[in-house]
Amino acid sequence: MFQLSELQHDALVEIFNLGVGRAAAAMSRIVGEEVSMSVPMITFQSRAEVAKALGSAEGRRISAVAQHFEGAFHTEAFLMFPEEKSLEIVRLMVGQSLSLEELSEMEQEAMSEIGNIILNSCMGAFANAAGKELRGSLPTYHAGTGDDILGLSGKEWDGVVLTLKIDFNIERHHIYGYVAFLLDMPALQDLQRYIDDYLARLMG
Amino acid sequence: MQLSLLQGVLKAVRAGIIVFDAEQRIVFWNQWMEQHSQMPAADMQGKSFTDVFPDMVDGRTHVAIRAALENNFASLLSQTLNKAPFPLYANAADVANHVRMQQAVHVMPLEIASLSRHCVVQITDVSMAVSREKKLRELASELESQTLVDGMTGIANRRRFDLHLDDEFRRAKRNTSPLSLIMIDVDYFKDYNDNYGHQHGDQCLVQIAGALSSVLNRSRDLVARYGGEEFTVVLPDTNEDGAMQIAEAMRAEIEGLQIEHAYSGVAKFVTASLGVSTLVPDHMSKTGTLIHAADRALYQAKRSGRNCVVMYSDKKKSE
Repeated sequence: MFQLSELQHDALVEIFNLGVGRAAAAMSRIVGEEVSMSVPMITFQSRAEVAKALGSAEGRRISAVAQHFEGAFHTEAFLMFPEEKSLEIVRLMVGQSLSLEELSEMEQEAMSEIGNIILNSCMGAFANAAGKELRGSLPTYHAGTGDDILGLSGKEWDGVVLTLKIDFNIERHHIYGYVAFLLDMPALQDLQRYIDDYLARLMG
Repeated sequence: MQLSLLQGVLKAVRAGIIVFDAEQRIVFWNQWMEQHSQMPAADMQGKSFTDVFPDMVDGRTHVAIRAALENNFASLLSQTLNKAPFPLYANAADVANHVRMQQAVHVMPLEIASLSRHCVVQITDVSMAVSREKKLRELASELESQTLVDGMTGIANRRRFDLHLDDEFRRAKRNTSPLSLIMIDVDYFKDYNDNYGHQHGDQCLVQIAGALSSVLNRSRDLVARYGGEEFTVVLPDTNEDGAMQIAEAMRAEIEGLQIEHAYSGVAKFVTASLGVSTLVPDHMSKTGTLIHAADRALYQAKRSGRNCVVMYSDKKKSE
């Protein structure tokens, strides 16, 4: 599977940590509580491997918020949580306890906003570091297995998935989630080039 | 499409539309906005976001507008997390009462050739959806309050216990028969939860509920989840000796489950403390007396080292 050099890898982890840090600050302002987020690791995997890690084989259901980004490079971005965790996050943020086992329509919209904040912050941090322009779409909410969700961009797609594990803390609850970027070959090359440019400027 | 037609469409749209230029100045304010903000477009033209919405500076909406103008990113502001960011009102009465319209806001960058970047803010009235969900929430909690079964363990819940105890108390009063109550608390359960996780904690409570139920075999005996890791047992026509025997059998049954608990201060396995009280109610007695006595006995059991059964005794009387 595709690999970055150690330096490229560290730069990317740093950029994404900057991004989720901003997202956490924005979310803290919304809920008036301390929210913290970090990205402990990033990996490159095939779509099948990611789906497997998300428990697709066991039929595990995932809540996902998807956004399309284009410009400097094209990618489909996803924020994903196990469905029960997304209930936990939304209800912690909204401060209501509803015993329904699925997100209601309004809660789905709240989840979309949370995804929107996180994905925009991650891509914003990346675009700034790369000094490039990206356009971001509005978020859409999806529920299903990891396979269903990552399959949204068509069966033939055979690129690489850049996965960020996100460690999310709110009101003493620790919740793990994932951000995934689907990258085809050209996008992957663009990504690598931007990181190299960024590193070159840093070393400058 | 003709410009006049486009203008007509924007006028007719049942949503608020504001367009900002790259300097965050208002260049468009549609009729729906005029109607619900009570501010005419002519007054808004050319004004900056900061001037028109001083309360919203650096808020979520402002940040979203900047993200659209500077980064080209679209944003969604849900009603659930933002309530009503803009000072918009459904009608004149709401203006007078300061009741804002519930809003969903979309902020989208606009890229049009030959123009600097703009962004469009679209505001939708979601009051209907909000009240629909409120109704749904009320129905769900009403349904929940009517249920008699504890969702997690499947045994009787607190409400069923209250109802059952009232019934049995009245019956005992009529027949001048003894009524016993056992209060049960799992020892060091917080440490169990903290170390093994909530999922294992839940499983542990389910097993204990099963163990407690297995001890009872008379139809009017009832074991209920009192709350958290507390259980309670109602034993009609049962005197002190009978209640002590059942309580001891329950204690042994829980210990016998041998659920590993490395963080317990009293045993290697999950254990419980039990308090027992018995009463032959007279016309003055209340259920609260019985519950309070069992609670006191449970407290004594905790004080005497846990994993044991204590019978309530009225010290003042015996001294």
